[in-house]
Formats: sequence, C-alpha cells, structure tokens
Amino acid sequence: MNLNQFISYIAQGTIYTVGVTLIALPAGLLIGTILALLYVYGGKVTGRLMNLYSTIFRGIPPLVLLFILFFAVSKGINLSAFWAGSLSLGIVSSAYQMEIVRGALLAVSGDQMKAARAIGLSRLQAIRYVVLPQAVRLAIPPWSNEVAIVIKDSSLVYALGVPEILRRAQLIAASSQQYLLAYLSAALIYFLLVFLTTRLLNRLENKLAIPANP
Amino acid sequence: MKKHFLLVVVIVLITSMLFACGTKTEEPASILDKIQTNKKVVVGTSADYPPYEFVDEAGNKTGFDIELMAEIAKRMGVELEWVDMPFDSLVAAVSSGKLDMSISCFNYDEERDKTVDFSEAYYTTEDAFVVNKTFTGTITVPEDIVAYKVGVQSGTVQDGWLTDNLIANGLLPEANLSRYERVDQAALDLANGRIDILMADLVPIQAYVAQNPDLQVVYKGELSTGPINIVLPDGDTTLKAEIDRIIKELQAEGFIDALAVKYFSN
Repeated sequence: MNLNQFISYIAQGTIYTVGVTLIALPAGLLIGTILALLYVYGGKVTGRLMNLYSTIFRGIPPLVLLFILFFAVSKGINLSAFWAGSLSLGIVSSAYQMEIVRGALLAVSGDQMKAARAIGLSRLQAIRYVVLPQAVRLAIPPWSNEVAIVIKDSSLVYALGVPEILRRAQLIAASSQQYLLAYLSAALIYFLLVFLTTRLLNRLENKLAIPANP
Repeated sequence: MKKHFLLVVVIVLITSMLFACGTKTEEPASILDKIQTNKKVVVGTSADYPPYEFVDEAGNKTGFDIELMAEIAKRMGVELEWVDMPFDSLVAAVSSGKLDMSISCFNYDEERDKTVDFSEAYYTTEDAFVVNKTFTGTITVPEDIVAYKVGVQSGTVQDGWLTDNLIANGLLPEANLSRYERVDQAALDLANGRIDILMADLVPIQAYVAQNPDLQVVYKGELSTGPINIVLPDGDTTLKAEIDRIIKELQAEGFIDALAVKYFSN
C-alpha cells in the first residue's frame, strides 16, 4: 500500500469528524452564549447556577461523559455512537464557550451599558445592539482556539467505534502493519482541517475588525 | 419576576435531563426474538486484530471470526450488521444492549461473566512470550519473565493473568508492567526496546512476528487463554442455545477447522 491509499482510506473518516464538529460546535456556541448572557445579566442566583454548570462540565473529561451517555443511560435514551459523541462534546464545549463569551461580555466596558441606557435603550436592546457586537469581536480569537480543540476532540468518538479519522487509521495500521504511515496520514488530515478552519476564522476576525482600531 | 422565571426554566431543564435518564423501555424477552423479527443480527467486533478480525485493502472486514460469524448469521437466516468498536468497549456495548452479541477473540473471564454470557467455545488459543532478537535472557518457566520489563494489551486475559499471578504476589513490580491499548502498540515498543517481553495471544502474535524479523516467540503455552467464545447478553438462554447449536454444527462439519487452516497457517 502507498501513501495515497492510506490517505484516501483514512480521509473517508473526515465526514464523521466534520459531522461531529458541526453538531458539537454550534450547539455549544448556542448554549454557551445563552448561558453566558444569563451569567452576566441574570442576577446573583442564576449566575451561581451558571458557574456550577461551567464547573461541572469543565471538570468532566469529554470521554467520560461520552461513555456515560452511550453506555450508562442507554436503557432510557438509545443514542447512537455518533449522537452520544456529538452531544457530549457539545455539552463540554458549551461550558468552555460560555466562559469565552462571558469574558468577552465583561471586557466590554460597563460604561457602554450605562450610556446605552441613558439614551433610552432597554436593557435587552443595549445588550443586542451595543454590547454583543463589541463582544463578538473580542470573542473570536479565543473562540478559534475552542474550534481547533473541538475538531481534534472529535477523535474521541473512535472509542465508540465511529469510523472517523483516528479509528480508520487504527484499522489500516493493524492490517497493513505500517503504523507510522497510518498515523502520519491521520495527523496530516487533522492538521489540514484545523489549519484551514483557523485561517477562515482569521479572515472573519479581520473582516469584523473596526477600521483604524487595530 | 423575570429573574425568577429564568431560574425556573433552568431548574426544569436540568431536572428533566436527569429524569430522562431514569425512564426504561420494555425489552423483548429474548434478543433472539428481536433478531428474528428484524431479520438482522447486530454484531460487534474490534477489527484491528489480524488474523481474527481486520480490514482488507479494500476496507472490508475479514478474518477468522468475521467469516465464522457470517456463516452463523446465514444459518440463523438473518442479515448480519457489523459494528466496529475498540475492544475495551465491546463487553459494555453487549451488556447495555447496543449490540446483540460480539465476536472478537474473547476468552472466558470471570469478571466479564458477571455482566455478559459466553457461548460454547468455538476455538482454543494459546499464549506466547515474544522478545526482540537482541534479547539475551532465557525463559524456561513463565515466572522467569519477572526479571524483565513486560508489556501486554490492557483488559485482555493476558493482562488478567499477569496481574493475578505476578503482580498481586509482588513477583513482578507494577512499574515493570506496561499496559497498552492495542497489542500492536506493545509490539512496536518491543521492537524499539522500551519493553523486553510481550505477552499475547499466540496465533495473532505469530502472524505479526512473521512480518517483523526483529522479533521472535520464546515461549508458548496455555497460561491465561484457552477457549474463545462469542459474548452474548447476560441471562439470555434462548439466544445462547441457538448460537451453541450452530457452533456445534459447524464444528461437526469441520467448517471451523477449515477456517483455522485458512487464517492461521502462514
């Protein structure tokens, strides 16, 4: 077998890697953003609850959550390996993304909110039109970190037998006995995925940047 | 008021998530009924263990266990659906109902028997100690390996044998036993000199050694292993009876011996 055959066999797993990422990342962003808004603007008790959520899910390794969802609760909800993997990564990522968005919200000066209220905007309007647009710009650099982490963490679903990049590399390594070639091919594919995505996000960051305000 | 509303929503969401985990669905009496109704049996294997189970150049599953299971499914008159999964996950997947059964060179093991059942043995295997050709020691009895760094695939019966017979009584220091997720990773470390001795299933490791001239088998015997079985859901006697009947039929016809010759003689 040559390198081409290795890469084309392993690359067929990219669809699962991308699939898991495309579910976990937006789900985590949606939940994370909502929870971050609740954390920052929701008052003391809600803030504590959000803090608890973040502490719990940042404290559990995604692989453990994955096993819990797939094996331990399988009598109640019968999740497929793919969905158990996507959901657990999404939940863990939501806790991290919540902290990213929270940090960005807090980084926008509190005076902005006061000024917005002073000119007659409601609290919700102030968040929507004044704070969030500024926070988004601040959130992109740390968020692109999280994107790279989720793409790579999607390899964890191999433990449930989802035929993604890593699992396919293991299978072809075992049958061909060419470990270096198999795992290097997997590394190359992961690298390209992360590289292209972060480049894309860099562009977005530049596009959203305020001119003359580097 | 608004604040409290949000709080209630969050609490309801969290508790409903917790309770969703507790509800149970009705299960059919025997998995065999489910298999026959669906005309499909879902079987798990870890296709990284040649010659028992592996993927060929076209990416299809093949091997001793794979062909055997295909024949068993044919005789049950149902379609066969393979689920590939790392070895460590297979028993949990059978006991949690994700798989109907699993065939992946499983040896009988008391720990495993607590959560799943085993079919009649369909074949018998042996253990081997493998060393790098540069190895200068001698292994005459299995206990001789305690003077060296030993490697094994984690969760296998070999791991169990080493832990119970050499680690538990202090003969082999825990620090000198490396447990690998996969046997080929251990073999790679053996070739690279990170461990001195690898304990593994004889048949697959012989196939590996045949392709890696640096390595050689220095000892073989039936230590931890022995008969290999299909892993079945716990307490499902109807399914076990059907599988055992087919295994005996295949043994009597010489089908399994023919498969062994095809896959195990290089």
